[in-house]
Amino acid sequence: MKASLFFVIVSLGFLLCATVIPSQAEEIVPRLTVGTQEVGLSAGYLLPNRLTTDHTTKQSGPAFMPSWAIVLTDPIGSGWYRGQILLGAEIVYIQFERPEVTHGVGFTPKIKYLFEGTHRLRPYIEFAGGPFWTDLGDRVPEESSQFNFILTAGGGISWFVTSQLSLNAGYRFHHISNAGTSSPNLGLNSSLPYGGFTFYF
Amino acid sequence: MSVEKALPSLVLISCGLIATIGCARWIELVPSPDDGRARASQTIARDEQVPLIMDRIHITRNGSPQNPSAETEQRILGSLKDIGLFSYLTGINTAGPTSQEKVIRARFVLDETIDPHAGNAAWKGIVIGASMFILTSFIPFEYDYAAHIALELERWDGQTMHYESQSAGTARYHLFGATPIMIDELKGHVMETCLTQLSSQLVLDTTFYAASSAPIAEPGIRTVSVKSRAPETSGPFRTVIPVSVTTTP
Repeated sequence: MKASLFFVIVSLGFLLCATVIPSQAEEIVPRLTVGTQEVGLSAGYLLPNRLTTDHTTKQSGPAFMPSWAIVLTDPIGSGWYRGQILLGAEIVYIQFERPEVTHGVGFTPKIKYLFEGTHRLRPYIEFAGGPFWTDLGDRVPEESSQFNFILTAGGGISWFVTSQLSLNAGYRFHHISNAGTSSPNLGLNSSLPYGGFTFYF
Repeated sequence: MSVEKALPSLVLISCGLIATIGCARWIELVPSPDDGRARASQTIARDEQVPLIMDRIHITRNGSPQNPSAETEQRILGSLKDIGLFSYLTGINTAGPTSQEKVIRARFVLDETIDPHAGNAAWKGIVIGASMFILTSFIPFEYDYAAHIALELERWDGQTMHYESQSAGTARYHLFGATPIMIDELKGHVMETCLTQLSSQLVLDTTFYAASSAPIAEPGIRTVSVKSRAPETSGPFRTVIPVSVTTTP
């Protein structure tokens, strides 16, 4: 199931690339101006981070993240940190395979800083947070409720295949907890390496 | 009314505001002193019209020199052509008429000033994101653009005339109303205002550019000065000169 879903995502990405890659060699310079929007899809595999001895759950499973964002600024700063700020939102869906098959879905506004980098290779960092529902919540000792919040921080690189399409690879740290609305609330921490693609328009 | 009962209404109102005001955008142009004036109109005989050669287009953006695009050149030439003062116009990369003809040589300078309010936009973005986009309708963004145009026209006998115009505008938009076209629209409106002002000034000097206004210069060897460009950067820049350092043992 997991392997087939990854295969579908990767195939979709390559199919999209094949249809929009220019047939002739041309300079690829993404021109992201204020108001440029992006939509993307990322997929990865969630791995547990047990930060204290009280954390015992080894939650893991595939995650899918369709996203949207809009460029808020022209390039700001100078030197290596010159880049643009994007504001957006994404839906996070996680299918926990361990400790038992459960699901989680959340909606997170996100802010992203896209470094200028080279023309085609642009690193980024991002931060997101929002409500997250999961039926894993009341089945593990770390979390007591199904309604939680998810906080995400991470970074990655975007490789522009064309001026409007990029392939992305990155890493995120996820923290899921209920903000003290019920007890216990130790929180679930996870690492999420992921890949995906983004279309700019 | 309890919170549970009021919540759906609040969500609906928020969605409605986002769908309407949240997608709004508008452009405000700073009114120019010429706006109230009537359009000047002159007549010129066809055989009195002379060609115009665009010698140079110089563009700076926030003080930094830019490459003029073909689109910009076409727009400037199109605007000058619309006046009807010149018989034909040629671009900077087009072969012009021979030196024995009466021609007007043009030098065009466009100085753009852009203020995208990036810092404000970043903070507003964070606030909107933190509010789960509920504040989208209440927090507008701004993007300022100003242009200053200078046109120098040199008549065939060496006399020059200088014209200047300027305009500024602001694009105000809510998050979901932002598009790359919006910035192009703003620049287009400001540029159009500048070019309109310029053409109004130019029309007033119609007789100056008529073919019969001055005799052609004496035929002979004509010269142009050849010189290096003066540095255009100013302000807190330092020139770094490599030096060799010798250390004594």
